[in-house]
Amino acid sequence: MRPPGLRTLELTVARSDPEARRVFAVEVYEPAMVLDLLLGVQRLDSSIGFRYSCRVAMCGTCAIRVDGRPALACQTPIPADADRLRLEPLAGLPVVRDLIVDTTPFWKAWAYTQPWFVPPADGRTTTLAAGDPSRAEVEAGLDCIACGACWAACDLAGADPGFLGPAALNRAMTLVADTRDGARRERLELVSREGGVTRCHYIHGCSNACPKGIDPAASIRRLRRRSIGA
Amino acid sequence: MPEHPVLEADVAIVGSGGAGLMCALHVAAADPRLRIAIVSKGAVGRSGCTRMVQGGFNAVLGEGDSVEAHFRDTLEGGKYLNDQELAWTLVNDAPRVIDELETRFGCLFDRTETGELDLKPFGGQSFDRTVHRADQTGLEIMGRLRDQVLRIGARELEDWRALDLVFDRHGELAGLTLLDTRTGTPAVLVARAVVVATGGSATMYRIAAPAREKTGDGVALCYRAGLELRDMEMLQFHPTGLVAGTSALTGAVLEEGLRGAGAHLRNALGERFMERVDPVRLERSTRDVVARAAYVEIVEGRGTPAGGVYLDLSHLGADEIERRFGQMAARTRLVGADLALGPVEVSPTAHFHMGGVVIDVDCFTSVDGLLVAGEDAGGAHGANRLGGNGVAESTVFGARAGEAAAELVRGRGIYMPDPALVDASVGRALAPLRRESGPLPFELTDRLKAGMWTHCGLVRTRAGLLEARALLQELAAESARVAVPGPMQANPGWQAALDLESQLVVARLVVESALAREESRGAHFRADFPERNDAEWLRAVVARSGADGEPSLSTRLVELTRLAPDGRALAGGPA
Repeated sequence: MRPPGLRTLELTVARSDPEARRVFAVEVYEPAMVLDLLLGVQRLDSSIGFRYSCRVAMCGTCAIRVDGRPALACQTPIPADADRLRLEPLAGLPVVRDLIVDTTPFWKAWAYTQPWFVPPADGRTTTLAAGDPSRAEVEAGLDCIACGACWAACDLAGADPGFLGPAALNRAMTLVADTRDGARRERLELVSREGGVTRCHYIHGCSNACPKGIDPAASIRRLRRRSIGA
Repeated sequence: MPEHPVLEADVAIVGSGGAGLMCALHVAAADPRLRIAIVSKGAVGRSGCTRMVQGGFNAVLGEGDSVEAHFRDTLEGGKYLNDQELAWTLVNDAPRVIDELETRFGCLFDRTETGELDLKPFGGQSFDRTVHRADQTGLEIMGRLRDQVLRIGARELEDWRALDLVFDRHGELAGLTLLDTRTGTPAVLVARAVVVATGGSATMYRIAAPAREKTGDGVALCYRAGLELRDMEMLQFHPTGLVAGTSALTGAVLEEGLRGAGAHLRNALGERFMERVDPVRLERSTRDVVARAAYVEIVEGRGTPAGGVYLDLSHLGADEIERRFGQMAARTRLVGADLALGPVEVSPTAHFHMGGVVIDVDCFTSVDGLLVAGEDAGGAHGANRLGGNGVAESTVFGARAGEAAAELVRGRGIYMPDPALVDASVGRALAPLRRESGPLPFELTDRLKAGMWTHCGLVRTRAGLLEARALLQELAAESARVAVPGPMQANPGWQAALDLESQLVVARLVVESALAREESRGAHFRADFPERNDAEWLRAVVARSGADGEPSLSTRLVELTRLAPDGRALAGGPA
């Protein structure tokens, strides 16, 4: 008899080596996330390339495509009606091996916006009380884990090396909206240039893909409003 | 010898969590010309545990609070096993670090309507002093530190594993051997100063909270290099880990603030068992007390069928729970429960290693050129760490290590490592890949975790610890035969084999130190010696590698420099 909660799934995993095994029958007990399936695959083929760290949606390193959609493996339950799943590396980034991608283009864009807080030159320090409108605007975009799901879901980010992508622009928004920061104007100018906020077409792939419920498209819209008003 | 690429830095930092990145920023602040290398076997600023901190950061900032009170709480919580100078440094520097995180690095912490920092209550504390950003404090701190590190332009060796400390022919520290795990290529990193800040080792238990990377690599490489390690028996179990069957989610922490906010713990009979164990502090007692109480309920048959107890905060109301603990509620929904609506099953989960390398207040060790910061170091927390003192430790001592390293390298040269040491280290790392046949590491790791949980967990006995020792000796022999197939490039199976080697080293030190401490104190509970014994055991167990490579143990009296266990302030201590 089958133990309760035990499921078998047929998993097709993208592999870099064309000779490597791609299809696995994996048994898991509920509750199980896609990450648990990958850990099951690892027992069948220890050479499978995938990455994860925290397994609680904080590190953002386990983002892959599950049946074509970008998602965190650690937070994606296996759909109740599924008996097979397809796992692929994130789109729009070079593949290191199997499901592991090279995030360099993502971080290059992120770093371009000068994402570091700059203390005001006059030495004044301000704080944002609960209820301060600036705090609400910053908090809306703050909990990004830089997993790259939005990048992979964006039609432009991977294809157009000139476009900064949703996550970098969202990070820029959290600083431009932060009245404590001393470099808001410079940063707004950076993201208002070619490749910045004007390039987004508002297809909202990013906002639909974000595992943390952030709406990068809304952040880009806010930045664009400010850059026009600047 | 085969030629390996040689990289050079002024300061080499191993680890990229709170301690590692704070260290890098403080090296750069002290002297922007210094060449910094950050070695991280995971993603820089994203792997490891500081980022997973939910609850918050203890710092004396509230009106009416005092560093003396924070110090007393830290020693009371640590059952006076703490290195008092480290604890004193921790509580004194914490407010300054919060100020730096907020005003220099831009962290956004929760504030009240009137603009004061929102300080929340945590277990074992006499004052509400935990700074936080909702229940994602670590994400905010690590996100902003990561951004600042982009500013300083350090050399980031991401996905590079540190293998060993290497020395020149006269015994001077020369640097590290490394493995670029993306390409599988070994290398040598020569540095004037090395800072080890890799984090702890609690993943060696069946139910465990930390990120995958936390396999005790830093402690293991320090042990192999002959350093002294103290309090290795002191491994903290967090009382409220998620129960999720065989899923990797099992053991993920539901944060301390839930108990601070008034959550109840009940066994399967509906009894609020903390009423029996600590009628005054109840669920807000320290982690060691609450975790062991829950464990006893479970092993004595009053737990749930899945092996847990119930955590219930639903009396706070769903809206309030969603607002304050939204991430925690979402986490429970993944396993078919809902914190916002009713009780969820929790189990104690291995969480944090109080023990580690012996350091001084500037993170210096007994080896010239070597500093250790964060969870790899021992002493600040004694026998039990307070919730909210962990991220405080990693950032406070990371910053201090950075300043100390920047100062040190002015007077310290570059040494070239002894090629024989490099060859031995690299050979050891490549061995699992080169072996034609042998066991995979995974099943050995499973046995390690199960054995440590059963025999060296929340309740220990001499007989159980001897079984653990025998198991570890068996596993050490088997791990020497592990063979991992597949390519050199980005091969997690190979890395799991190397992780296991570190875990086995650290596990052995935990077991040996636990055997030595024949009393109960903090996280270390011996059913055969259930009482705390200050007359004989106000001393640290110190382990180091003996001549035969086996652990050699001694004990050292705790120096009561500021506060006696009866609460009496000593000269130089708090008023």
